[in-house]
Amino acid sequence: MTSFLNRQDSYQEYDYFPGDAYPGDHHSLRLRRLSSGRSIHNIPHYNPSLSDGGDSEDDNQGQPRELRSLPRHMAIKKAKLKSRGIQVPVLSKAEMWKQDKLKKLQKLQNKAREILFFLALWGKTLQKIGGNFGGGVQSYFLFLRFLVILNFVSFLLMAGFVIIPSLVFRQVGVSFMNSNSTGEEICTVYEPNPPGLVVFYDYFLNLLSGTGFMEYSFMFYGYYNNTMVEDRNFSYKIPLAYLFTAIFYFAFCLICIVTRMGSAARVAVATGGSTAVNYSMIVFTGWDYGCLGDTATKLKQKNLLYRLQVDLEEERLKKHAASLTLLQKFGLHSLRLLMFLLVLGLNIAAFFGIFYATRYSQAQQNQSAGIQALFYEYLPSVVISAGNFLVPLLCDQIAKVERYSPSITVIVALLRAVVLRFVSLGVLLFTLWDQITCKGKINDLKCMLCGYNYESYPCWETRVGQEMYKLTLFDLLINIALLVLVEFPRRMVVDNWSSKISQLVGRQEFVVSSSVLGLVYSQTVVWTGALFCPLLPLINTVKFVILFYCKKITLFSNCRPPQKTFRSTTSAFFFLVVLLLGWMLASVVLIYSIAVIRPSLGCGPFRFSDNMWSVVPKSLYSLPLVTQEFLFFLGSQAFTIPLFSLSSLVMFYVIALFSIYGKSVRLLRQQLKGESRDKQFLVKQIGELSQ
Amino acid sequence: MGNKQSIFTAQQLDAYQDCTYFTRKEILRLFYRYRDLAPQLVPLDYTKQPDVKLPYELIGSMPELKDNPFRQRIAEVFSEDGEGNMSLDDFLDMFSVLSEMAPRDLKAYYAFKIYDFNNDDFICKSDLEKTLNKLTRSELTEDEVKMVCEKVMDEADLDNDGRLSLEDFQHMIVRAPDFLSTFHIRI
Repeated sequence: MTSFLNRQDSYQEYDYFPGDAYPGDHHSLRLRRLSSGRSIHNIPHYNPSLSDGGDSEDDNQGQPRELRSLPRHMAIKKAKLKSRGIQVPVLSKAEMWKQDKLKKLQKLQNKAREILFFLALWGKTLQKIGGNFGGGVQSYFLFLRFLVILNFVSFLLMAGFVIIPSLVFRQVGVSFMNSNSTGEEICTVYEPNPPGLVVFYDYFLNLLSGTGFMEYSFMFYGYYNNTMVEDRNFSYKIPLAYLFTAIFYFAFCLICIVTRMGSAARVAVATGGSTAVNYSMIVFTGWDYGCLGDTATKLKQKNLLYRLQVDLEEERLKKHAASLTLLQKFGLHSLRLLMFLLVLGLNIAAFFGIFYATRYSQAQQNQSAGIQALFYEYLPSVVISAGNFLVPLLCDQIAKVERYSPSITVIVALLRAVVLRFVSLGVLLFTLWDQITCKGKINDLKCMLCGYNYESYPCWETRVGQEMYKLTLFDLLINIALLVLVEFPRRMVVDNWSSKISQLVGRQEFVVSSSVLGLVYSQTVVWTGALFCPLLPLINTVKFVILFYCKKITLFSNCRPPQKTFRSTTSAFFFLVVLLLGWMLASVVLIYSIAVIRPSLGCGPFRFSDNMWSVVPKSLYSLPLVTQEFLFFLGSQAFTIPLFSLSSLVMFYVIALFSIYGKSVRLLRQQLKGESRDKQFLVKQIGELSQ
Repeated sequence: MGNKQSIFTAQQLDAYQDCTYFTRKEILRLFYRYRDLAPQLVPLDYTKQPDVKLPYELIGSMPELKDNPFRQRIAEVFSEDGEGNMSLDDFLDMFSVLSEMAPRDLKAYYAFKIYDFNNDDFICKSDLEKTLNKLTRSELTEDEVKMVCEKVMDEADLDNDGRLSLEDFQHMIVRAPDFLSTFHIRI
């Protein structure tokens, strides 16, 4: 009896917002949270004036509750509808008109949302993928879509501010700064297209390696001049535009990532930490009611079984670990330390391999020609890819010895792969830097004349851009090659040849984590190379689009649905954190190139400055005096110290707010517990008194 | 489309539109799906509100439901007689709650009723065990089932009475972001 009344109370207090429940869409999560937030604040109270089976017509705001969200049988709803129709309308004409307009507006909003969903890039494909393969695989494709859009918008930025003006002003503009330095003449000589006969296949080789006809083109840094165009009210300096576009591009990417991370984090925080309600979540929300077909159902059931078993296994391991004797613990920890050192050793071996390969390839590049030259060009990329493939494989075998619990194993494997990828890219960049600046010693014989290694690198920025271009291209080629040479044959073998081995190996499973790391790696390469190769974002956009379709084809043709799931909410956040790490690596390279290294004297828009940044102060002095003073003021202490203190104040306020919310959630939860205990006590009392 | 259909009166269609999350088109489409289950039982003219109920066996043979391990409970919860025999109203009601646009609280209410096998308005241990067995095809061992039930009770039972009430259930659902997308049948 009391339970029936309870239901009435609590239901009437749980408000809703019309049209708020679109599933799986991040935008609607905010509305959903709003509605749940309201329900937490409205503590249910007992309303003795309830009539038969009906909740009160109006909720807190005095608006009639929508009938469709009433949890009653249709007959009751129809009866209510009739009774409402018969009731004398209490509302004035203006109110009725307002409500009518509101209804029409809501219908329009629903329609607009439908259309937007229809227009969203690859919306239907993503839904299909999510339905067939689950949230983890879908989150990979969502991430890929985000990167495609990011790259495309960055390309538009670059095109608008650097490439098109360069194109237009190339003939018109004058040289911005003339050389007044007593630089050696030999440093300014740069011949990317040596005269002579060009063999026909050279064009293809040039396309693959970025040399030849591609080197002195809009692709690379070396083509841009320090042109300047000045009119009455309009002046445009290419070097300044180049620099500021690169900096703004980085800032823009950071803002996009952080915004997206914010919305992903909101979900993670709202669910209050996924481990807290693990089992009940799996049991009550694990079953997908939209699952069709016998095989899909069986698969889903196996999936749930696996998840529950994994969680139970973790519990068992935890209990087991807690019950180990001291000696056993010591043995286990020393074994883990040994394995860690082994993994470290493997990584260091890979890094040395990359270092030597890069050095060798750079040395050989100037001496060979034809196909051999191509091989040497791609040697670093090959070594990096081989390292990124072999070392995680070995680490997986090592992880079996370490015997961590399943979730920790996954996290450790991911961390190792991330570190490997980023540090191998870092080693490549370090080797290049090493060669270009003669290990940083300006007084070294080769670098003394021009400030950088002129002989091997007449235009070092273009060379760095070429390396990044090659890495990008090679990554794409490897992916397509894997698709054609490994995945399709594997599927054909497994499907048509039934033997023990093929049963054991089975169809491919789409591994989300390593694919995501591949994406983050490519994006980091693009960021690193964007300063030196302005068209790289466009190439990357095309590459990611091709990759999307390739992965989609392989997913639907060759892969079996995953048996092990990946928690999609936290993983979206994790992808973005790793992407942010890549961004930081690229920004270090950017800052170093802009501020420290001497630009080449033979090419590029910065050839007459000591470093790239010095064009900014020089152009600053040509601004009107008022602007100059304003900008100086912005940089002075009188402005930055108050700004800094204000932002720390805001940060502390937000942190305090965050901790207060956590505390209030805990308090409310305890209050809930207390209330239900009070209820039980009162029920018992009523029972006793009525006897 | 216009008012060319003669199955329902205009008022009936409006009433259905107000009581469910479907548009006119979808209601008519659902009517034809309902009729396809048993064309000889369901008349084409609903203006006189005929009292037609399809037995559970026909409802449970729909492609959207036939592989769902909870199909019997779903039919029992949404039917008026509690046995799974559904009229058109119950049919529309069921798919309205399971559609994309139903709000979370409504879905949580009905999900609670579905998992409450003995209809006592609480999810007790035996209800949980039955749910688990349906979810995993009874492939968990007895010990594992017991452990999982204990864990679920620990996590979700806020008032410590050994069973889950509607509030406990709804409180737990609030923290599940994918509940709305899993408790959804597309038709």
